[in-house]
Amino acid sequence: MERLDRLERVTDLLLVLLDTPRPLSLRDIAYRVPGYPESHVARRQAFERDKRLLRDEGVPVLTERIDGEEQLGYRVDPDAYYLPDLGLEAEEQAALNLAVAGVHLGEPIGRQALLKLGAGGESPLRDAPVPLVDLPTFGFGGLPALPSLFDAVRQAAVVGFDYRDEPRRVDVAGLRFRHGYWYLVGFDRDREEARTFRVDRIDGLPTLGPAGSGRVSEQFDIDEAFSRDPWQFGTGEAVEVDVRVDGAEAGRVVAELGEESVVSRSDDGAVVVRLSVTDVGALVLWVLDLLDHAEVVAPAEVRAAVVDRLEASLASAGSGD
Amino acid sequence: MPESTADRLRRLLAILAWLAQVGEATIDATAERFDLTPATLVTELEMAACCGVPPYTPDQLMEIVVTDSTVSVRVGTSLARPRRLSPSEGFALATAARTLLAVPGSDESGALSRALAKLDRALGGQEVEVELDAPALLPLVREALTERHPLRITYYSASTDRETERQIAPLRLFASEGHWYVDAWCQTAGDLRRFRVDRINAAEALEGELPPEAVLPGGSVGGPVDGATGDQAVDPAVDGSVTGTFDPFVPGPDSRRVRLSLDPATAWLVESLPATGPATEVEGRTEVELFVGGDAWLERLLLRLGPDARVVGPPEFRDLAADAAGRVLRRYSGGDI
Repeated sequence: MERLDRLERVTDLLLVLLDTPRPLSLRDIAYRVPGYPESHVARRQAFERDKRLLRDEGVPVLTERIDGEEQLGYRVDPDAYYLPDLGLEAEEQAALNLAVAGVHLGEPIGRQALLKLGAGGESPLRDAPVPLVDLPTFGFGGLPALPSLFDAVRQAAVVGFDYRDEPRRVDVAGLRFRHGYWYLVGFDRDREEARTFRVDRIDGLPTLGPAGSGRVSEQFDIDEAFSRDPWQFGTGEAVEVDVRVDGAEAGRVVAELGEESVVSRSDDGAVVVRLSVTDVGALVLWVLDLLDHAEVVAPAEVRAAVVDRLEASLASAGSGD
Repeated sequence: MPESTADRLRRLLAILAWLAQVGEATIDATAERFDLTPATLVTELEMAACCGVPPYTPDQLMEIVVTDSTVSVRVGTSLARPRRLSPSEGFALATAARTLLAVPGSDESGALSRALAKLDRALGGQEVEVELDAPALLPLVREALTERHPLRITYYSASTDRETERQIAPLRLFASEGHWYVDAWCQTAGDLRRFRVDRINAAEALEGELPPEAVLPGGSVGGPVDGATGDQAVDPAVDGSVTGTFDPFVPGPDSRRVRLSLDPATAWLVESLPATGPATEVEGRTEVELFVGGDAWLERLLLRLGPDARVVGPPEFRDLAADAAGRVLRRYSGGDI
């Protein structure tokens, strides 16, 4: 019978490569897997196409040197192919299904992962009664660097990338998602200090060193190192800045900064929050975004920075064009 | 069928992995689950049942049994064991779990935390954290959504810079670009509206049912997200009309527009804002036309852009930045702190 279905050949190929303890030459493979052409050139072409398909699907097909006239042998390392047993209970699997249904990662990649875990098709994911969360990660308009950075964290590998037009080499400590942005926290080797990078501002794809090459020191405290807010991205001494916020915006601001930032509250609903600032320019932008619902109370020089900026806006508007 | 072999292989492995977990399932249920016709499912599985490793002893054949109405797979079948996750898949799965765990009250049984701990052990992702905002009134809004009762809210609109009282019937709650939003039927406006939860300054649960008009277009679950990120500090109108997407601001056909002239060095500040078209270069400066989310929205943007940004037109917006700057400056001129 003529074999027309390539899926059958590929499935057989995968089974044979998984089963073999030693690398198989193409001739050995063609002997075990029905459906490869007789002619040497056509057989090689067909096999190369199948091998590429398997690799594109994430199957780790190894090419190894062997004795004999063909010289190259192929196999799949079962340890690299199979997921270590996660031991998920049914209830835990169901909880993961719901999480993937509720969190939009920009691409159905979470669902592909569920399929690999044996979670079935789309049906359990429809009409999930969970709040929906939209997280920018992969795909169009997403963050192509993110999976590599995750891999770097996992393997403690040093990463290299371009950031603000400068090359960086960073020992990665971790990834944080906050206020709609992903951040990489790590130790910048060239600047010799802890730094936080916004992942969406990383140019291109990061390069990874070997596993274990980018381990941060035991003393590295990622929570301490993480610059949480735009006004913490500067270098140098931190200044404590007090900002008074009116009742209309107080609730939102306290939710954003955390209750611990509040130093006083008044009866009209206004609050004074205290911020640790290394980038005064960024703080001024944040305060201006609150319009006349907020003002810098202290210190005087930061208050003056806001006034200077506003007077410059007034003057430029007055000059006409 | 124009399906690629790769798609079919991926699906076949998923079907085998699932069948190995459940043991046996009806053909109809399996076909529906994987979005196949029963005939196609049977063809694919019968094909796979013939696959194996020579000399085809029983332990080397794929143990797939297809009867008239059911299909089953033996657990030990080598292609039925779960495959290793790619870095992206592992990250996506663990991140989805972390994100939902950051939503208060989402894991009362603890199953999700346990699942995540097991994932982390296998994948090593402990140093990834997801923080979501937790506005004080989020639990109240969520309860109203679950219990299907209306709310009376005091809402501060950033686009108009005004506080209003409204009666709303919450229909959908979602987080996007770091903020929580509630889509609701607004009794006061007589229409669907989108509200940012952290701008709800007070809320009170009301007795009674939701009005019959309180229905989201296209069912209860939101549409796809395009993954675009906005500038978090520049905040377009969010109580605009509700659409099927999570986009916080969707310009309508009669939205007002403003033309700005910027220093190219600061042009990135407006990159992610809703523009009518691409930016152009005019005499060494960048010009861009934006949809205006509200007067207060434009004031915030102009103050942030600073003295260097100019409104090209229309004339009604020319004095906006100076007015806003003057208003804010008055807070600083009293010296009464």
